[in-house]
Amino acid sequence: MDFNFIPLAFGEIVSPLTIGYALAALGLAVHFGFTGLLNFGQAGFMAVGGYAFAITTVKFGWPLGWALVATVVGAVLFALLLGIPTLRLRADYLSIVTIAAAEIVRYTVKTPSISQYTGGSDGINGASRDFYAMNPLPDIQYGFGVLTYNNNQLWSILVGWTVVIIAAVLVWQLMRSPWGRVIKGIREDEDAVRSLGKNVTWYKMQSLILGGVLGGLGTVLIIIPTSLQPDNYGTQTTFFLYTIVLLGGATTVLGPIIGSIIFWVVLQLSDGILTLLVNNHLLPLSSVQQGPIRFIIVGIALMLLVIFRPQGIFGKKREAHFSG
Amino acid sequence: MVTALRSRPRVIRLFVVVLALMFAATAFAFSTVDSASAQSLSSAKSSAPTVDTTPTPAPGSTAPTTAAQSIGIWIRIAADKSNVPNAKVTVTGPSGFSTTVVSGADGRATVPIEKTGTYKVLLDKSTIPAGLSVLGDNPRDVQVDAENQGVPAYYLLGDGAAGATPAPGKTSSPSTSSGNTPTFAEVVFPRIATGLIYGLLIALASIGVSLIYGTTGLNNFAHGELVTFGGLVGYVVSGVMHMPSWLGILSALVFGGIFGYLQDLGLWKPLRKRGIGLIPLMIVSIGLSLALRYIFNFIFGPDLLVTPSDSSSFLTLGPVHLRFWDVVSPIICIVVLLLVAFAMLRTRIGKATRAVADNRSLAAATGINVERVIRIVWVAGGALAGLSGALIGYYQPVSWETGASILLLIFAAVTLGGFGSAFGALVGSLIIGLLIDLSTSYGFIPSNLKLVAALAVMIVILLFRPQGILGRKDRIG
Amino acid sequence: MADATKDVTVLQVGEPLPGVPKVDPILVAHGVRRTFGGVNAVDVEHVEIPRNAITALIGPNGAGKTTFFNLLTGFDKPDSGTWSLDGKSLANVPAYKVARRGMVRTFQLTKALSLLSVLENMRLGAGSQGGERFLTSLVTRLWRKREDEITAQAMELLARFKLDTKADDYAASLSGGQRKLLEMARALMSKPELVMLDEPMAGVNPALTQSLLGHILNLKKEGMTVLFVEHDMHMVQTIADWVIVMAEGKIVAEGYPDVVMRDQAVIDAYLGAHHDTDLGSLTGQLEVAKDLGDSFLVGEISDEIRDEKADHTMEATDGK
Repeated sequence: MDFNFIPLAFGEIVSPLTIGYALAALGLAVHFGFTGLLNFGQAGFMAVGGYAFAITTVKFGWPLGWALVATVVGAVLFALLLGIPTLRLRADYLSIVTIAAAEIVRYTVKTPSISQYTGGSDGINGASRDFYAMNPLPDIQYGFGVLTYNNNQLWSILVGWTVVIIAAVLVWQLMRSPWGRVIKGIREDEDAVRSLGKNVTWYKMQSLILGGVLGGLGTVLIIIPTSLQPDNYGTQTTFFLYTIVLLGGATTVLGPIIGSIIFWVVLQLSDGILTLLVNNHLLPLSSVQQGPIRFIIVGIALMLLVIFRPQGIFGKKREAHFSG
Repeated sequence: MVTALRSRPRVIRLFVVVLALMFAATAFAFSTVDSASAQSLSSAKSSAPTVDTTPTPAPGSTAPTTAAQSIGIWIRIAADKSNVPNAKVTVTGPSGFSTTVVSGADGRATVPIEKTGTYKVLLDKSTIPAGLSVLGDNPRDVQVDAENQGVPAYYLLGDGAAGATPAPGKTSSPSTSSGNTPTFAEVVFPRIATGLIYGLLIALASIGVSLIYGTTGLNNFAHGELVTFGGLVGYVVSGVMHMPSWLGILSALVFGGIFGYLQDLGLWKPLRKRGIGLIPLMIVSIGLSLALRYIFNFIFGPDLLVTPSDSSSFLTLGPVHLRFWDVVSPIICIVVLLLVAFAMLRTRIGKATRAVADNRSLAAATGINVERVIRIVWVAGGALAGLSGALIGYYQPVSWETGASILLLIFAAVTLGGFGSAFGALVGSLIIGLLIDLSTSYGFIPSNLKLVAALAVMIVILLFRPQGILGRKDRIG
Repeated sequence: MADATKDVTVLQVGEPLPGVPKVDPILVAHGVRRTFGGVNAVDVEHVEIPRNAITALIGPNGAGKTTFFNLLTGFDKPDSGTWSLDGKSLANVPAYKVARRGMVRTFQLTKALSLLSVLENMRLGAGSQGGERFLTSLVTRLWRKREDEITAQAMELLARFKLDTKADDYAASLSGGQRKLLEMARALMSKPELVMLDEPMAGVNPALTQSLLGHILNLKKEGMTVLFVEHDMHMVQTIADWVIVMAEGKIVAEGYPDVVMRDQAVIDAYLGAHHDTDLGSLTGQLEVAKDLGDSFLVGEISDEIRDEKADHTMEATDGK
């Protein structure tokens, strides 16, 4: 039997998906965990940021710095577009509008008539040019065993985790500051915070923008070493992010990051075990049937988490802000 | 508690509209700029199927070269559904039209069509893998009507000449009479008909969402899976077991109701008992939706499942040609909707449901068994969604993600109509149905963006009338 | 107690009729109207609130008191009307700006921010903390000094409201009465001019009533103006300098407490035939309600009981 999947699964700790999802989940935690915004369209923010980056670098040939500015601007505009009509409404309206807006983005970028910019259903490749050009690492193989990386992969991993750490420190500082106090107050009762003279709608907007920008940057971290595919930013991506956020604890800074690691490692492990069982005829499944299983696991895990451990696997019971 | 809902000045709304318009204008600009070069582009793209067009008579004289119509070709091997690349297909049609295309890596190719009419599609047998033959007609006639994009010409290859039914298109619509330049009526009326039929199908599912929201406060993101479930039941009964259609539809209704009942009994009722808040419940419904969707995928596979039905014209009203099911399913919908309306207005349980939706604790205080009402709402919601799914099966092929793909339309319909209002859900559904089909006529927006139109309208409505078209203002807040 | 604290100064100009001008009004409202589906919830022709006095807003359930509060504080929008604080118009001013202008309110159902500590709740009430701005918040040095001042002020207020020992606990762990106190203390953090209390006694157990009354009287001593909605007639008579009576959205009477309580219009509108019954404490109300079988009181009280119950369940689960 081939047990290589075990080290490979732990290799997920440094995979682009884990890093990107950690950042996007951190953004979602800002929305959902800290501010209480029911954003079901984080995938939309991710897509907008990713497309802004990929289109400006690949199609317009902008340098890395300006492409990143475009990413941030894209996410900010998307947040404004979504937030202005909905932030004053009841929480569940935001959820429906954001999930719809995310799908609008996905359908729009797949439109054949604008495929010269968006690449249609195929997405965009090769957004990594400038990024790899900045790579100071010598071109040799790094790592050991099945986990080896070339210099560009390692460069992406190092930069990716650095960005995640910087973002985590930033969010941590924000949440311990008076700004974070207002944000958490809004989560508890926005009318009370309003009665204390805080411009609640504006704070919610700031939160939506912050989390959205983190989502957009998360995509950049994913697509630099891989590629941009529109269908990777469907509703299931948002649901994955919710699972990640709830796994680690929605009201913590480290929760989403650790959640992302656990999520992808466990998913890879379960895939590996399944493959092993199927290949050795221990499980009567076809290879087509193997695909859906990870989604079934995620769906059930999400339900169980919300019902039995809303505070996440590390959080304290009383910190589950929606347990009541 | 009253929120500062109405405190936003008009200026801000205006700002959003301007922002949205800018967004739309940019998208539109992109699409027009590019439409002129669409053809050259698609041939330039490496992964796309190569289009090798024999020049049609004087392309320059008919100003825009964008094709309003197209034929979508898809060649697969029947046994494992794998795609067949590099197969040569020739399409011939009116006015000496002739084009040869080669299928891409995904087994697909698209042929742009300028003029409506009947086209002959011929798959070159010498270019398909050895030992396989074409199942179904070859050459086959394909009817291309005004604005029909991607009219399907799907080929399955197998060892024998067994007559496997070719899958009808996902968006096969009541067809217009063929002609070279479709008139306004020829373009719009069939779309109105399709839109209304689709709207009625959505309405069946929407009413369940609306009632469940009204009585329990839950935005059920797993409602789409109830629709899928109904569609799959219909497929199994009529498509696999070859029982009569009415039995398939009835089974979908009954099993849908049972499914709704079991969901409430096994999941939602215990969660209500635990006193879990509405937001976590919503997230639970997302998890459930994800799990159910992929359980369907696990069982039925990722393919489109076709329930056999008669696709010939059954009724012709002016330019509108309706197939048998285009006539029958709206009738079923209307009858069922009238029954629901009667139940809501006249029966005890209907009145109780409205009372619970209005004020749950007051209803409980007046002796209404709220749990019983909620249970009935779940059964009814499940049954209606199941019925909707089964009927959708006669309208387009069902798959594991049929419900998921219309969930947002259901939400859009419910939001448009006003949350918790069953009649609002009906009106909202019809509007959404019409919007989807009318928005793409005359290339107003690209046809793959038709869902976008519906969702965008929902967002705009929320902006100006957050309570929906028929909703009451004081419900929000 | 009543005699020692009551003002004897004249507050109004002329006969104390509904809408009477005040000697020194802090809040003036004119033609404020709000309808809910055709029903006039609030229809106030003219009203002035006297400065540095305690004004009680009373009236039967559904009289529009809370709606009027919501309108004045920007939590709801009227169909028409103007009102001003210190001569500056507040019409169409969003709720948070109203609060910044020095008009701070509390809520009928307490809005303690459960998963913030008591101290954080208090700090949130303070104004002019630059660290509440996004960019400033990133540099601790820029807001630390102000934060220390706020904390000192908060601890002082908490000590006064006897909540200082709870400073680091979650607000969720407080009892219903303590939450009322916290909400009032939090409102004081911004040093408001006008404090608007929506049923400060609702859900407060009798043991805390006296201390709450004392705190309200203190506000006046410190130069603030208090406007409160209350059903507890005993409380109204004890601490109010001026009473405004609402019924069916309109102001039906105004005047000094002793006079208003004897006013026939008030008795008709509010007290019914049992006006001489002492409506004292919450328990008193319950008895009266039982006597009268009076629906409006029953509704109100059952709400309160429900809140209390909710509070207890909260505590119970928190204990686990």
